[in-house]
Amino acid sequence: MNIDRHWIARAGAILFALALLYPLAALFARIGPWQWGEDVRGPAIASMRVSLLFTSYSMIIIVAIGTPVAAYIAHCRVRERLLWQAVLLIPILLPPLALGILLSLAFGPYGAVGVWLKRFGVEMTNSATAFVSTQVYVGMGYYVLGAVAAFDAVPRILQKQAALLGLTPWKVFLRVTLPLSRLGMAVALSIAWVRAFGEFGAVVVTAYYPSGMPVQLWVNLQSFGLPAVMPLLVVFLAVALPLPWLVHVLAQRGRHA
Amino acid sequence: MTVDVSLKLASGEALGLFGASGAGKSTVLACIAGIDEPDDGFVNLDNLQLFPPSLPLHRRPLGYLTQEPGLFPHLTVGENVRFGISKEVAADCEQNRWIETLRDHLHLGPLWPAPASLISGGQARRVSLARMLARKPPLVLLDEPFAGLDRRLVRELIDDLIFWSQTMGFSMVAVDHRAEVLHRLCPRQAIVLEHGRIVQQGTWNELYSSPATPLLRSLLAPI
Repeated sequence: MNIDRHWIARAGAILFALALLYPLAALFARIGPWQWGEDVRGPAIASMRVSLLFTSYSMIIIVAIGTPVAAYIAHCRVRERLLWQAVLLIPILLPPLALGILLSLAFGPYGAVGVWLKRFGVEMTNSATAFVSTQVYVGMGYYVLGAVAAFDAVPRILQKQAALLGLTPWKVFLRVTLPLSRLGMAVALSIAWVRAFGEFGAVVVTAYYPSGMPVQLWVNLQSFGLPAVMPLLVVFLAVALPLPWLVHVLAQRGRHA
Repeated sequence: MTVDVSLKLASGEALGLFGASGAGKSTVLACIAGIDEPDDGFVNLDNLQLFPPSLPLHRRPLGYLTQEPGLFPHLTVGENVRFGISKEVAADCEQNRWIETLRDHLHLGPLWPAPASLISGGQARRVSLARMLARKPPLVLLDEPFAGLDRRLVRELIDDLIFWSQTMGFSMVAVDHRAEVLHRLCPRQAIVLEHGRIVQQGTWNELYSSPATPLLRSLLAPI
């Protein structure tokens, strides 16, 4: 590729980035002074703690359950894979509000599972458990689909070579498949994270309280208007972005040319 | 295509599988290694039954070299060579001396700390050879491991394999579509496959002097 084409490609990429980030220009819209008084700041910080803590719990559950499921699917034959892809796409396809309604009905006080869980003191509406489980439903499909693609990208012959060198299937997974798929896994994890962290439609139905940042944005809009939304939005971006970005950085480190 | 083959190999022997592309040679090796599963028949290695039922790959005591070196790119050369050695065995002094012997004989010393993804194709073949020999397999399967290498390198690798087979006493089944490579590696006997079946079996002199089929005659003719 000669220099002219390289610069054209770079200019095209910059235009794409500008178009993607353009909505952030609305942060500078003339809406009056931003509100960040105690009545806004207090609930905002509380919602930040809720979002960070509960999304972390969700990610642990998603990775713990999703990784072995993805490893299983990666070794399935084509027909079974197609079935799995349909299963994983369903919660992703559902409009978030619809997912929230379905989760409330299935796990809420009138659903069979909800009634059973309540006997053990597990509240599945407006609780931490409801918050985390909703995020798990929202993020799991993204993670598993991404993880399957990451495992598929590891050459099968390398896995078979490792087995012929005496490694059990579990050790092949730990020492070959996981390290070679770490970049794809990082993408899967970061997409699941941002999806779960930013989830509003389902969480507002199942877990209005405790309020995470997306719900708090809605509360601020209702109660105080746009001047109380903008500062929380900046905090949201500052809080939500570093972790998935760091995951990418760590996955890239030690990667040989 | 159906591959219908029967092989028997004595301990320490070397057998060449010769034939045109698509004859089924690689399929035979893949079935012995466990990468492919035969539809029928049996595969035994000494007293160990590899098939049926299909013994898991990690329990098959054999080495397998293919056209692709198959090095793990996230590891160094040294880590690749030691990859199949368990921690308990790795702590053994004799095992360490063995690894050092392989490293020195195959001139891998300067490459040892280098990432496996950054070495040349020829260097990678030597590393994959060392990695295989590190486990001292009783049977070595070679599926055109010299493809794409220059003649000097092919000669060096063949010399290494002959040296190590004599030193370690392993049996060898080698596949190649170049008669001169197989003849050098497996000088005593060869089996010729065509369309998945054995068409001739014997010494190289017998193959050259009385090729059983026109295809074999053309494969053995000088270019």
